[in-house]
Amino acid sequence: MAITEAHAGRRYPPCDPYQVSAAKIAEFATSLGDDNPRYRGESPMAPPTFAAVISALGWNQLFSDPELELSLERIVHGDQRFTFLRPLHAGDIVIATATINKVRMRSGSELISATVDIASRDGEPICTAQATFAHARKAAA
Amino acid sequence: MKATVVDGLEIGTTLPSLTVRFTRERLVRYAGASTDFNPIHYSEHFARQVGLPGVIAHGMLTMGTALRVVTNWVGDPSRVIAYAVRFNRPVVVPDDPDGVEVEFNASVSAIVGSLVTISIEATSNGQRVLGAARAEVDLGVRVPHRDHET
Repeated sequence: MAITEAHAGRRYPPCDPYQVSAAKIAEFATSLGDDNPRYRGESPMAPPTFAAVISALGWNQLFSDPELELSLERIVHGDQRFTFLRPLHAGDIVIATATINKVRMRSGSELISATVDIASRDGEPICTAQATFAHARKAAA
Repeated sequence: MKATVVDGLEIGTTLPSLTVRFTRERLVRYAGASTDFNPIHYSEHFARQVGLPGVIAHGMLTMGTALRVVTNWVGDPSRVIAYAVRFNRPVVVPDDPDGVEVEFNASVSAIVGSLVTISIEATSNGQRVLGAARAEVDLGVRVPHRDHET
């Protein structure tokens, strides 16, 4: 079976802990063409949208959930919202947990709203990432 | 740290704009850095197969680049407490050295206490590619502002 409205509420197990590194922060900032000195050096903070790197751990659980029958190349990002309780820094060890909030069936596509909660290993909330993805359904054979 | 931005801030105050070029190289870099390996961001074959006009930029690349306007201005990126966008139109990135230009403009759209909302417009090939793009920054100090409600 493929994704349906009934998958709303599906919560995935927490992802493996992710350790934020200075090297990954610098790589990410460079990919944005951002030379802000706060993203460089030995103990940088991460650019706010670095949260997407960690959110992706949760998104990938959803995208690869065999029951949903999603194809990565058929997915486009519809909207994105981040709420930051504090910035991420090199050395932080964080855990992403993904939840499907809502599934809307459209002609030819499904709209999937999902939240990834990013927290410390102690459960301190750090960031919430709310996304909508559009998944283009395969034409009926 | 960049200059303080509190004095004289009011609704409509514009931030310095930013123009960038998205090339295929940039997409490859962002794919690796972000771990978003959706092939529509590097393969013409997959992009066209799913009905796109060509290889498109990661929405998150546009979103992340747009926020540079805000963080360049505010200096300290930790001031950003919320950020949301809609991906209105795909940014098609041609396979040539020039790529495609994306222009970012931003202005203050709300001030409540120390919280300032910045609305961002992203334009490529004359089309708005982001919708409802808003970053909320906490300047940490109350903003002296004539529209400010006390």
